[in-house]
Amino acid sequence: MIEMDRLCKSFGGVRALDGLSLCATDGRVTGLIGPNGAGKTTAFRIVSGLLAPDRGRARVDGLNVARQRAQAQRQLGVLPDVRGLYPRLSGREHMRYFGQLQGANGAQLDADIDGLVDRLGMADFVDRPARGYSRGQELKVALGRALVHRPKNLILDEPTNGLDVMSSRAVRQLIAKMKADGHCILISSHIMSEVSALCDDLVIVAGGRVAAVGTPADLRRQTGTDDLEEVFVRVLADGANVESG
Amino acid sequence: MMAGWWCHVRTVLTKELRDHGRDRRALLLALIYPMMGPLLVAGGLALAGKTLQGDFREQFIDIPAVGLAAAPDLVDFLERRNVRFVAAPKDPKNAVRQGRVPVVLVVPKSARGQTQFTVQLLTNLGRVDNLRITARLSEMIRAYNRDIGAQKARAAGLAADYGTTVQIERINVARDANVAVFFYNMMAPLVIFMIFLGGVHLAIDTTVGERERGSLEPLLLAPVERWVLLLAKAAAAGAFTILTTAVNLAAFGIFLGLAARTSDRLVAPPGWDVLALILVLAIPMMALAVALQMAVAMVSRSMKEAQIYLGLLPLVPALPGMVMVFSPLNPTTMTALVPVLGQMLLINQMIAGQAVSAAHVLAATVSTTLAAAAIFCLAARWFRREKMFVLG
Repeated sequence: MIEMDRLCKSFGGVRALDGLSLCATDGRVTGLIGPNGAGKTTAFRIVSGLLAPDRGRARVDGLNVARQRAQAQRQLGVLPDVRGLYPRLSGREHMRYFGQLQGANGAQLDADIDGLVDRLGMADFVDRPARGYSRGQELKVALGRALVHRPKNLILDEPTNGLDVMSSRAVRQLIAKMKADGHCILISSHIMSEVSALCDDLVIVAGGRVAAVGTPADLRRQTGTDDLEEVFVRVLADGANVESG
Repeated sequence: MMAGWWCHVRTVLTKELRDHGRDRRALLLALIYPMMGPLLVAGGLALAGKTLQGDFREQFIDIPAVGLAAAPDLVDFLERRNVRFVAAPKDPKNAVRQGRVPVVLVVPKSARGQTQFTVQLLTNLGRVDNLRITARLSEMIRAYNRDIGAQKARAAGLAADYGTTVQIERINVARDANVAVFFYNMMAPLVIFMIFLGGVHLAIDTTVGERERGSLEPLLLAPVERWVLLLAKAAAAGAFTILTTAVNLAAFGIFLGLAARTSDRLVAPPGWDVLALILVLAIPMMALAVALQMAVAMVSRSMKEAQIYLGLLPLVPALPGMVMVFSPLNPTTMTALVPVLGQMLLINQMIAGQAVSAAHVLAATVSTTLAAAAIFCLAARWFRREKMFVLG
């Protein structure tokens, strides 16, 4: 379970988060959606232990991230928006390196990596250096890197960005499988069809705050439209009206 | 399951060494660059050796001369001492000025039949290579004077050295070895320059480079303390520093050894045992260099900025060493306590074949190690800042 409790964070004079609260529960996919600069990445970074909040708390499986960073990070698998691979290491070496940093080792780690290679369809390129990977291949390795230590909670920032149709479908199936296995999954995406297909709960953020929260069906009902993209636009427009009013 | 910070250090260190070991261009530079300084110094030494060799072994020296017919006795005296006279150029002064000939002996026509006369040596002392031949010719003419003076004294019934009040016996304790030592003294600043340059590529690439590539954020998501990550990266940079320094010292050993063999007037360069000791003694300085590289990389906003700063860094410790090539400084307890300087002086002493004081070794090692630790702690503190990846 991932919880954010009234998170506030400023960078210089810019307020990135302004009391953001949400709860992503186990066995469900929670979508965090919002326009660019809404504070999604900052929120993810606070939950991942990369940033300290100015106020508020982030918890992963009940662990206070600020105080128990390492324990919380072991429970968390993160796919950042920038994939950041090492050009001279192969995909397999990436997964082994990050698995070892998470404390895994030996035959079990090798078996886990082989399992990920199968599930993510990486067999064709996993032993080649990352230099020259396509964006889709990079994303698969970055996803494997996030999953190699079998985390119970996942944060996926734009998980299908750059993937072709077949690979996107494979990732969506993987997310559905992990959800069925009881994982807590928090994703961010700008692809509304994907959000609609994957997410059980939605949190729409704007200006560092929650603008709307609920299941896709709830939000459709509240805004009086069936189109999720239209839901998103109306929620943001209502938020803007409240601000200006 | 592995546990403990040491396991994480090993994991990151292994990854960095594997990763950068595959960077063939960087590896090639790391192995070739350390040979440049030794090659230059050895080249200079070989030239100096050749010059010395010529001074003592050359059977004849060719002297362009004018008006020799006016001083047959002098000509005879000099020819018996391996001087071969050749025709002087038409414009002797200009020829010497332009370096076409090193010296021209001019005997005036008025010397004919005279027992006392003046000869001119046209030379250009702005050229170092003219010094030797001019000095040798001058010395031979002085010897001719002494010879004639002795003959006149004996003819007058006086002692042969009657006209000489004070005789000078020159004893050069350093002999010609001084020339070689001058070149060997260049080793210390060049070794230190390489120490501060050896791991710089890796220090930049594993810190600010990771930030630019976007791989730092995933790395910081791992449950590993930041100082542990930085220590492992510093250890990797340190390993490259040790490698390049070892190559540098080995190149000095090989190239200077070959250069010194070109003349038996040159003392041998420092032996392999001395070079190995220098490598061990320099380890705290390598730690300091890597810590400084890490600290500078932490505050740099881009790889380019880090490269500019760290490209200048090796000059700071190497410059005092270059000054000491011309004006040597003797080590004291106070100088030994100054990080880098203390070790530089010890390295100089070892290269010169002097005994080093154990107290000075201890003082230099402790002070440089403490400085390295303090700077590393500062770098680790900066590594924890959110700026490290937020700005990336």
